[in-house]
Amino acid sequence: MAVCIAVIAKENYPLYIRSTPTENELKFHYMVHTSLDVVDEKISAMGKALVDQRELYLGLLYPTEDYKVYGYVTNSKVKFVMVVDSSNTALRDNEIRSMFRKLHNSYTDVMCNPFYNPGDRIQSRAFDNMVTSMMIQVC
Amino acid sequence: MIRQALRMSVPDYMQCAEDHQTLLVVVQAVGIVSEENFFRIYKRICSVNQLSVRDSQRALFIRYRHHYPPENNEWGDFQTHRKVVGLITITDCFSAKDWPQTFEKFHVQKEIYGSTLYDSRLFVFGLQGDVTEQPRPDVAFYPNYDDCDSVEKRIEDFIESLFIVLESKRLDRATDKSGDKIPLLCVPFEKKDFVGLDTDSSVLLGLKRHYKKRCQGRMRKHVGDLCLQAGMLQDALVHYHMSVELLRSVNDFLWLGAALEGLCSASVISHYPGGTGGKSGARRLQGSSLPSEAANRHRPGAQEVLIDPGALTTNGINPDTSAEIGRAKNCLSPEDIIDKYKEAISYYSKYKNAGVIELEACVKAVRVLAIQKRGMEASEFLQNAVYINLRQLSEEEKIQRYSILSELYELIGFHRKSAFFKRVAAMQCVAPSISEPGWRACYKLLLETLPGYSLSLDPKDFNKGTHRGWAAVQMRLLHELVYASRRMGNPALSVRHLSFLLQTMLDFLSDQEKKDVTQSLENYTAKCPGTMEPITLPDGLTLPPVPFTKLPIVRCVKLLSLPTSLRPQKVKSLLGQTMSAKSPFIYSPIIAHSRGEERNKKIDFQWVQGDVCEVQLMVYNPMPFELRVENMGLLTSGVEFESLPAALSLPAESGLYPVTLVGVPQTTGMITVNGYHTTVFGVFSDCLLDNLPGVKTSGSTVEVIPALPRLQISTALPRSAHSLQPSSGDEISTNVSVQLYNGEAQQLVITLENIGLEPLEQLEVTSKLLTTKEKLSGDFLSWKLEETLSQFPLQPGKVATFTVNIKAKLDFSCQENLLQDLSDDGVSVSGFPLSSPFRQVVRPRVESRPTNPSEGSKSGDLGHLKTLEAVLNFKYSGGPGHVEGYYRNLSLGLHVEVEPSVFFTRVSTLPATSTRQCHLLLDVFNSTEHELTVCARNNSELVLHPSECQRMAIQVDKFNFESVSESPGEKEPLANLKQLEDERQEARGLEISSKLDICWRIPSLKRSGEASVEGLLNQLVLEHLQLAPLQWDVLVDGQPCDCEVAATCQVGDPVHLEVRLTNRSPHSVGPFALTVVPFQDHKNGVHNYDLHDAISFVGSSTFYLDTVQPSGQSACLGALLFLYTGDFFLHIRFHEDCKSKELPPSWFCLPSVRVRALEAQA
Repeated sequence: MAVCIAVIAKENYPLYIRSTPTENELKFHYMVHTSLDVVDEKISAMGKALVDQRELYLGLLYPTEDYKVYGYVTNSKVKFVMVVDSSNTALRDNEIRSMFRKLHNSYTDVMCNPFYNPGDRIQSRAFDNMVTSMMIQVC
Repeated sequence: MIRQALRMSVPDYMQCAEDHQTLLVVVQAVGIVSEENFFRIYKRICSVNQLSVRDSQRALFIRYRHHYPPENNEWGDFQTHRKVVGLITITDCFSAKDWPQTFEKFHVQKEIYGSTLYDSRLFVFGLQGDVTEQPRPDVAFYPNYDDCDSVEKRIEDFIESLFIVLESKRLDRATDKSGDKIPLLCVPFEKKDFVGLDTDSSVLLGLKRHYKKRCQGRMRKHVGDLCLQAGMLQDALVHYHMSVELLRSVNDFLWLGAALEGLCSASVISHYPGGTGGKSGARRLQGSSLPSEAANRHRPGAQEVLIDPGALTTNGINPDTSAEIGRAKNCLSPEDIIDKYKEAISYYSKYKNAGVIELEACVKAVRVLAIQKRGMEASEFLQNAVYINLRQLSEEEKIQRYSILSELYELIGFHRKSAFFKRVAAMQCVAPSISEPGWRACYKLLLETLPGYSLSLDPKDFNKGTHRGWAAVQMRLLHELVYASRRMGNPALSVRHLSFLLQTMLDFLSDQEKKDVTQSLENYTAKCPGTMEPITLPDGLTLPPVPFTKLPIVRCVKLLSLPTSLRPQKVKSLLGQTMSAKSPFIYSPIIAHSRGEERNKKIDFQWVQGDVCEVQLMVYNPMPFELRVENMGLLTSGVEFESLPAALSLPAESGLYPVTLVGVPQTTGMITVNGYHTTVFGVFSDCLLDNLPGVKTSGSTVEVIPALPRLQISTALPRSAHSLQPSSGDEISTNVSVQLYNGEAQQLVITLENIGLEPLEQLEVTSKLLTTKEKLSGDFLSWKLEETLSQFPLQPGKVATFTVNIKAKLDFSCQENLLQDLSDDGVSVSGFPLSSPFRQVVRPRVESRPTNPSEGSKSGDLGHLKTLEAVLNFKYSGGPGHVEGYYRNLSLGLHVEVEPSVFFTRVSTLPATSTRQCHLLLDVFNSTEHELTVCARNNSELVLHPSECQRMAIQVDKFNFESVSESPGEKEPLANLKQLEDERQEARGLEISSKLDICWRIPSLKRSGEASVEGLLNQLVLEHLQLAPLQWDVLVDGQPCDCEVAATCQVGDPVHLEVRLTNRSPHSVGPFALTVVPFQDHKNGVHNYDLHDAISFVGSSTFYLDTVQPSGQSACLGALLFLYTGDFFLHIRFHEDCKSKELPPSWFCLPSVRVRALEAQA
């Protein structure tokens, strides 16, 4: 169960960020923001050679005391960051991977909307619902 | 004291791997030494941080500390670079009396680090005299802080002495072969574990061997440290390798970790001679070329295969390690360094008391990784370091720790993480638990986080397109900056940051936040208004001003031309003068193109010096509340401009709202509108148009021409609600209206006032009648300008008058269909034998019209107003603008409503008694609601009641039109016939009207006017009114005879009768035969033609006229003899045969002759 899901634009500003309402929202902003360092590092480490075969899933970005931060980057350099509770040990890498894939598909749907202006904040209800389902659902 | 400090508690975050090769020297002050003086000397001492030892290639590195906790010194055996080996004491001493005391203090100081010190020095400042004469090796005297040139030399000597001790220790330990006697080196917290352990008498051989190995291993490691410090890198590597092997076998993890770390350090020094610690490393490079040379020698070897650890002898310590074993082969590869660091740290982490060691190892590893550009792994080390739990840290230590974490993250390129920790450090500075919060430090640290959050404090960076940044965290940071600067007691900074927040984050603030932010901004600006000055911070950072370009948002900037009445116009110069100067071509597309580009910037109207000029902005308020913008004015350049600021209040979330900013140019030239300034929430902003995104502007440069006078016109007439819409595009400044009856004339007095500041020198007046379908006769407007011009030049504030005559004279004929109806009555036009010319005609049809609603609307024109519109143009100029050839144009719109006065519903003619005259019969209809009198020339007045129609007869002389009509025909020979005919008819009508001189008067309103018939004269009527081209004159006894007037003659006398024909037609006429028939009128309808007895002809009664050429004259004579008295009429008749058929009968109308024969006088 994710506690925070964020979509970050190529230029590293948030297109969408949602966290569990019970927690301090700003905390997750900082967490996701700082995780971008790791994402950048991982992307630059991968290099440009294997753009096609590149693994989009970046894996665990960094663990904190209470949370684990996972990352995923699309070919257009849009980043997905998911924060999960580290106490939730049931959550395996594969589940995280599939969650990111779902997120990516939903994001693609958003982009297909002709009325969506790339670079704007995502305000799609369908995307919202999907994120909600991921935040509630216990994998 | 020593026993208590089992844990090393103060981590040195600045440590790096190459610090392992340094010797630690503490520099301290005793007594009262000013900080300034101390650090002056300290700095000079620090400059001697590296020394090449004589006669060898080895280099010695010194690390100076002015503060070092003694408990850290306890760990000196564990890692020798932690050991304080030298002490330099600086003291003030001004009298010899104090000297012993001072010296005593020096000894006390030495005691603190006593166990580890190799050597020490005392620098005494200020003491002079006998004491200084005594040469002591460890004391140096200087008269003052300025005169101490030999400090560096002294330090070098001191370092050399340190080296000697170090070298001796190294050799002593290294050559110690008797393994049994090797003492066990311990870290402070281990000591109690080994207390009472009698190693020699131990019964367990295994334990003893184990213990021996441990002692050997630790000693090897120690020797390695000493070798490293002594500049023997290769030896150190070998010793470390052996130590690792030994300690691994006995599971002495803490020391194994230390040995591994030593190995890493030595390898790092070998690989990265530039150092990993940043600044200090760079200095080291400059200091000597030696290490880099060594590096060049060793570096290739670093890639070679590692020495097989098994090949190392574990028994005894071979002093000559460097001989056989490959130098570079012992060195770890860069990857291995990290692996070994990891291993070492994992061993350290087993000991809670070694937390500081672990932490420092992490920091060192991170620095190495930063050099290797392996950010990910470095971040793992740092992540680990974050979780190393030292004892309860003081607030200051926390700040230091977070700052250093931030720096390290920065080092590995994790700017965001770095910013995060820096912010945490900043927050720590002002934690509630701190009694004296360091707001300045907090603010300074917060400023340093800005790059990490991709935030610059220059608002210009946010002008490009939409905001691209992490607004949530940026806003938080800005809020914190605002708060910190406020608590620092610098409201100007708070205002600047708050302005910046409002300006750049406007799109991300919620409505409530917008309210809060503006509320607090207003509170701050009440104390310190926001300015446009850049604020420079003490540390050199400059905060550029933040103009509020979004409060309000300006969408469109448009320079407005002056109102039409004030717009200057250029007197047209000679054609093509400007063009010919530019190009030989009359037209060239290239020129046209370039002019088009010019137009983008320059506007093709002018402003006038001294006149209020306007710029229109379309603005809107993005705030959810009413926005008060004060002091909004224009920023211009090029011309001295007096801006007249405006204050406005924009409603919440307003749409586009036009705002007009005004100002007065004071000089002439090209003026450029650069932007505008505002005061919003107490913040002054200068917004330049160039920096505004999405502003539409149609050029911002306009020419200011010299001053011109201003003319104001006023009339006594009421203003017209109805404004004219002239086709030509020029606007009318004033509209006046007047109501006139058709044919009425009125004088319009126009008052001209010069309300400008320049004398009015020139005035031209033109008028233009707007196209109307009404037929207008006569001059509508007429004036005499000379009277007005005599009052010129008109000085400012002076008044002149100008009189215009308005004459509304429209068609007096009835509606055509009405005319048609009336002529259907079958009243024949000619030859109606009416004895009385006045006849009352009652026309019920006309009277019934208004009562019939359906027909009333159709024939509305009959009783309806007609409108005439004209524009009076005043072209005026004066002052300097006149010299430049500019003038102004002022237009007065004149709206004249013409009410119908009288109508001529029908017109006809009756021949008069004289052939030269005829009666014109007019049916006059009074369409006013008042009683009206009509009179024609020499006629009596005819009184008409409202809506009454009466016939009016006017006796008129026949007209000779030919002379009038010829001239236009000749001028325009090509004009088509119909047009020619129309013109001719018009001219005739005009002439007739002027002869008729019909006037009407409304006694009740005291108004009067003229009426004319020209519109309703048809061809038939005209023909009757026209004088025949053949003019017949009958003369009796040489007297012309016409009309009723009787010629007198005497009975018995012959009367000469002459018939004269003047031919005015263009053709020759004749010949004609005429017969004179006399008759008597009995006035009872009976004509007596049988007068043979009474009259006798002398000669023939028939006259013959020859052919008469055009404009010729012919006459024939005869004579009559009246035999009786009486009244006789002579009827002159044409013979049927000779009358030409093609000529109209009216041409042959001869006057009848009346002769009264009287008794012959005696």
